[in-house]
Amino acid sequence: MYFKYIFLFFVLLNLTSCSDKKEVAYNYDGTFNSEKGGTLIDAMSGEPSNLISMIAGDSASSAISGNIFNKLIKYDKNLELAPEIAEKWTISSDQKTITFYLKKNLKWSDGHDLTSEDVFFTWKLVTDDKTRTPYGSDYKLVDRAEVPDLHTFRVVYKKAYAPALDSWATLQILPKHILKDEDINRTFFSRKPVGSSYYKLAQWVNGEKLTLEASPSSVMGEPNISNLTSRFIPDTSSQFLELIADNIDLMNINPIQFARVIPSKPDLKNKLALYKELGNSYTYLGFNSKHLPFNDIKVRQAINYAIDKQEIIDGVLLGLGEPVASPYKPGTRWSNRTLHPYPYDKNQALKLLREAGFNDTNHDGILEKDGKPFTFEILTNQNKQREMTAVLIQRRLKDVGIDVKIRVIEWASFVNQFIKTGDFDAVILGWSLSLDPDQYNIWHSSQQKPGQFNFIGYNNKEVDQLLEEGRTELNPDKREKIYHAFSKILLRDSPVIYLYAGYGLTAMSKRIKGIESPTPPAGIAYNSYEWFIPSTVRRNEIAQ
Amino acid sequence: MLIGISLISFFIMHLAPGDITASESAFNPKASEESRQKLRALYNLDKPLITQYGLWLKRIVKLDFGNSFASHQRPVLWETKDDKGNVTKGMIQDALPITLMINLIGLIIIFVLSIFLGVVSAVNQNRWPDRLITVIVFIGFAIPGFWLALLLMYWTGVTHSWLPISGLHSAGYEKMGQIAQYLDLFKHLILPVFVSSLGGLASISLYVRNGMLDVLQQEFITTARAKGLTENKVVYGHALRNTLLPLITIVGLSIPGLIGGSVIGESIFAISGMGKLFFDAVLMRDFPVVMGILTIGSVLTLFGNLIADIGYAWADPRIRRGITN
Repeated sequence: MYFKYIFLFFVLLNLTSCSDKKEVAYNYDGTFNSEKGGTLIDAMSGEPSNLISMIAGDSASSAISGNIFNKLIKYDKNLELAPEIAEKWTISSDQKTITFYLKKNLKWSDGHDLTSEDVFFTWKLVTDDKTRTPYGSDYKLVDRAEVPDLHTFRVVYKKAYAPALDSWATLQILPKHILKDEDINRTFFSRKPVGSSYYKLAQWVNGEKLTLEASPSSVMGEPNISNLTSRFIPDTSSQFLELIADNIDLMNINPIQFARVIPSKPDLKNKLALYKELGNSYTYLGFNSKHLPFNDIKVRQAINYAIDKQEIIDGVLLGLGEPVASPYKPGTRWSNRTLHPYPYDKNQALKLLREAGFNDTNHDGILEKDGKPFTFEILTNQNKQREMTAVLIQRRLKDVGIDVKIRVIEWASFVNQFIKTGDFDAVILGWSLSLDPDQYNIWHSSQQKPGQFNFIGYNNKEVDQLLEEGRTELNPDKREKIYHAFSKILLRDSPVIYLYAGYGLTAMSKRIKGIESPTPPAGIAYNSYEWFIPSTVRRNEIAQ
Repeated sequence: MLIGISLISFFIMHLAPGDITASESAFNPKASEESRQKLRALYNLDKPLITQYGLWLKRIVKLDFGNSFASHQRPVLWETKDDKGNVTKGMIQDALPITLMINLIGLIIIFVLSIFLGVVSAVNQNRWPDRLITVIVFIGFAIPGFWLALLLMYWTGVTHSWLPISGLHSAGYEKMGQIAQYLDLFKHLILPVFVSSLGGLASISLYVRNGMLDVLQQEFITTARAKGLTENKVVYGHALRNTLLPLITIVGLSIPGLIGGSVIGESIFAISGMGKLFFDAVLMRDFPVVMGILTIGSVLTLFGNLIADIGYAWADPRIRRGITN
């Protein structure tokens, strides 16, 4: 008797949930001419916090604000500096003064003129002590900023500062006429921005989605795709389901999805295009140089020989990564092509360890020095790839007689209890492959106080000198020589072992056209304003 | 009582190492230690703990839950308006309605279904309907919610496109008519509510079953049967009402649970509810948000206990008499 009702319930459920959505077979192949219009939907794991990028600091915010705001200069597709709203810039002969010449007739999306007054105002904001920005230090080195006329902006540094240009390629210019009387930390502008670039904010539903629409007064010209919608879907498995159900066009995927799931399914292969590009970071094993025996260069080199990097790339990234030999992106001018990662060489490792005084005196399979076994702990944060990497390292080091323990710790505890206090033997972490070669904060011996970034305690006079020189040289060719020499010493000293630089993997619906192939160093997204969606393969927007 | 709860939660929260300035995005060589110290001072994080608690208490007695430490600085509880008339919604204000809705619907479904299943089990004790129900509710209890959720999303959303996969609204929601909007929301809620109620069925249906078995053995049931009442009248008219008494306590104790969402469920279904809000706030060490949710939760817990006691006295004359005597 009850089962009748249960049956009825399911019938009702089916009736109410029957959808009118039909599976549409699009034909994505063929040649298409670029046209304007359409909506691109992507998925984001986090919701942007604040669209004023100098205050935000999270990647979701900068992904959105980068479409709304302009910078003076930018990195082009080969990661070289290029004009954005400044049509050119000049550097004085003493390298202390940089002058930017803005393009004429620049407009904010609300119709006001964009002038060098706005640039000056933005510089004032980012250096103001009341502004809650963690990024002010680069701009505080400016001794004097001037606005000779409405199209010129000049900064004078106390002494030549090479990363200055990089800093002007990241600072997004904010409108003075709206913000001059506002408290930048609390202003509603962070949720209702007025920018000057390709897009402007159309709608933002908390916890759900954010939509940008093409800005008619964009100083960069009109983008092909009219609307960009970002849906906030925290779970990447759910994102993937939305992607294969064709509800989103674009997402970052993981190596398993890239190398196994999508290629094995013909229907997915038909509608999704896969792109890989070298990401912007590398993963390393860093030693605490203040702890014995890691102060010995031979020990660090031995461990470098003992670790098989290709094995880690194949095992952890399914081959979707590259070994690196310097902290710079391979293919850019800063990366020294003559350097190669340490090959996997167990005998060389054993030889170096013996030279450093390690021998297996009691024949238990673990090396000893002065009666103490060689055992240490690798710390890492809760990151699956880093955990798997640690396990592979543990096994390889066991082969040469080093006993490794692995400990995985939540991020905030990791930073506060171990990194800041220097209470660790070795860590697996990542650094970005920075676009500007200056890495003073990471490797200079003066940067070892708690909270600073040379927490591994690396100390080399020669490197210190090169880093100081590189910071004051604005000529790219001379800088290139300095940083090639720096990378060479760094590789020899092995204060960290470069493990891999993983590819950024993207799956994109084939309805999106105009993506540059082969992928340039800056990645596929650099010309996203040239992408287009042919009207024949657009989603039926009225039916939705 | 509330001061005790808040004091303990405040100190436990600060026992966890780190603060808002140690979030992953702050681990950037471009961000200097001085600017982090500056931020710490701005948020009073450099003061002794007891001072920080005092400052918090001073605000909370005026019902001021403060603003989030995150860079959006949104108010924790309720919306504020700036002098230009722009309204910034509160974080709890945004997250609470949807969590409340899912949990309320879930709770009603759990209780209705559990009572039904419990009674069927008890009446058919140790026969196949009883066994079947027990097996099913235990499978529901034991099955990992996130796994079931993903399978159901794949089956109903990708292979069949019967139901939407994630989120609360479809892409063209704003352009729909009123009824279409409700239907759209309803479709989006089916899976989250189903998955979140599945786990609760087991305990309450077994509770009803065992309570029912106890009651069915009592003498007044024998009397009722002896009077010649039909079995339906005996079970539903006499036994069930007595079985429901202990459930009042469970309902009361479920009230604070109404505002707590499931982190995993909300992440998978891309619903920005209370669970995700609380979890993210803890990871970011966003203390005002954590304390705000804990305070509301503890108020509701105390309130739920009170409601349970009052409800019990209202429903059961024996307890009422116990109070007056």
